[in-house]
Amino acid sequence: MTADASGRRVSAEERQFSLVLALIATETGLTKTQILSTVEGYSARFVPGGDNASLERQFERDKDDLRELGIPLETFDQPGADGDTKLQRYRVSRAEYPLPDDITFSSEELALLGLAGQVWREGSLSDDSRRALTKLRGLGVAVGATVIGVAPTLRAHDRAHAPLTLAISRGRQVEFDYLKPGDARPEHRRVSPQALVQHEGRWHLQGFDEGKGGERTFLLQRIVGGVRLRTDVAREPASDAAERALADLRTLWTQQRATVSVTPGSEADVVLRNRAGTEVDGDVLVVHTTDFQLLADELAGFGDEVQVVSPRALVDAVLDRWMHVAGSHG
Amino acid sequence: MADRRDAGGTSTDRLAFLLALVPYLIDQVSVSVDEAADHFGTTPERIRRAVELIAVSGVPDASGSVLPGSGMFDIDWDQFEEQSIIRFRQAPLTEQPRLSGREAAALIAGLQTIMALPDYAERDDLWALREKLARGSASGVAPVAVAPGDSSETLQEVRRAQSAGRRLALDYVSGDGDREERLVDPIRLDSIDGVWYLRAWCLTRGAERTFRVDRIASVRSAGTADEHPASTADPASLFSGAAVGTVRVEFELHEAALPLVADYLPDDVRPVDGGPGLVRATVELSNVAKVGRLAARLVGAGHIVTPEAATEARHWAERAIAAQNRRLDS
Repeated sequence: MTADASGRRVSAEERQFSLVLALIATETGLTKTQILSTVEGYSARFVPGGDNASLERQFERDKDDLRELGIPLETFDQPGADGDTKLQRYRVSRAEYPLPDDITFSSEELALLGLAGQVWREGSLSDDSRRALTKLRGLGVAVGATVIGVAPTLRAHDRAHAPLTLAISRGRQVEFDYLKPGDARPEHRRVSPQALVQHEGRWHLQGFDEGKGGERTFLLQRIVGGVRLRTDVAREPASDAAERALADLRTLWTQQRATVSVTPGSEADVVLRNRAGTEVDGDVLVVHTTDFQLLADELAGFGDEVQVVSPRALVDAVLDRWMHVAGSHG
Repeated sequence: MADRRDAGGTSTDRLAFLLALVPYLIDQVSVSVDEAADHFGTTPERIRRAVELIAVSGVPDASGSVLPGSGMFDIDWDQFEEQSIIRFRQAPLTEQPRLSGREAAALIAGLQTIMALPDYAERDDLWALREKLARGSASGVAPVAVAPGDSSETLQEVRRAQSAGRRLALDYVSGDGDREERLVDPIRLDSIDGVWYLRAWCLTRGAERTFRVDRIASVRSAGTADEHPASTADPASLFSGAAVGTVRVEFELHEAALPLVADYLPDDVRPVDGGPGLVRATVELSNVAKVGRLAARLVGAGHIVTPEAATEARHWAERAIAAQNRRLDS
């Protein structure tokens, strides 16, 4: 909270609301100085001709917050003064701001979207869906009632999730340390994030690895330490980047199969038969996976209820886990 | 992000609320505080505070004072204060904001998850809803997506029984590997990241219990279920694999690896003297024979400390290795 000239406290949303109103109202755009010296929440603290550095930082953060909400904030140079940030002008596009008129929702549709919003249990996507539902309620349609007794939920609880969604919405490169299975230490990666997708309950980052010069897929749970946003602008993702990333994972999942033998009637038998896509082939099961290391973790947990028939690399990976258990409990 | 949470969520949430509330109030022409609160699912007090904030907001002119005329909100104060009726005679903002790319992505992913439920399998109008969300977003849908899992036959049968109020006989393998028939009256189905859980009244145990749907070997109808009050169990607690513990097992691992065993609900976590980053923690298992799976989870990150349990883990791994080697030799 900051106080205005009369000592009245101006909250963050009041300042940002006033900023939106000012930027929508202007046809020709406002310079930063005009904004800081006139908009409620900034103007009382503005020193004409003086040092307004903290106010300017606040303005930068407010711009980010507005963009988070999907408010189309435009920046353009004064004609003849390209690149002069002092003369740069800001405005919110009146054409882009409003929801198109022909987009309407029935009461039943809003009820379904209410359920869709509840799917997210925590994290930044839960914040996003809550805000989306608030905006849709503004359309004035009463929300239909829904009690269905089924509640699917999704989580985005990997620590890397929030910084990666932020980097994607701001179009920025990221850097992080990535631990590939079998490697002793993590490797530093610099990536243009392209899409964030959940497949089989696990989050994957699809990105262009700037160090290696190619597309790569990263499992969020293997990112160690934090994700840092760089100032470098990221390669822009294709409009169907998420769909393509999911299609690629699906193809990989279909192609990569493992044959296992299980003790009939055991827990391994029941759980692996119930796994999506499992095929029964005589007395063995064929299971699919996007990642043999993750499958090895899962299979090793069943102990002597399961034996791997193929591929050989999976046999070794599972044996390796058991030998590690045997070796570290001597 | 300068988000501060309070009753109205983060400051970004509160701005979204203001931007959605204004066009709603204009569109309604005249609406009571209670009605508006009801519509947005919030308190009359929050509506009242928001209206007071909006009413004094406006677009500043060059001198910093709010322009009289088209730049200002003009509320009928008498009606507002005396009858709690909100009526704006004039407003500089009358349109609903678009969704941000992430807001649209969050709802679409939630919708896809709902659409994967057996209940909605036949609903192709949901695709139209998805398309509307995409068109209503500011700069295209953010590349964040979820591949919903297929709903298994078992899940569909359980869901039908739940809807129809039927009792079920489950051939069920517990987390301890015990397999037995359980007679249950379904109460609720929840999923977390694609893993389904049935909350049911278990007649075999005479108590409410949670069953993992992928541990159900087979299911058959067993007459009509009794009425049961809605379960109050929080879905977030469902995924805890912790059974009623009888054996306490202590283990040591790198602190950073604690999330690997989070579903065991470790307690009594404390640092180890002389081991930087190492901690000891304790979990409860129903049966010492289950220690092998825990040990397998710890591979590369730590080991079991409790002597009898460590010995059991070694034997468990040796049995698995022997079975695997027999398979390779055959």
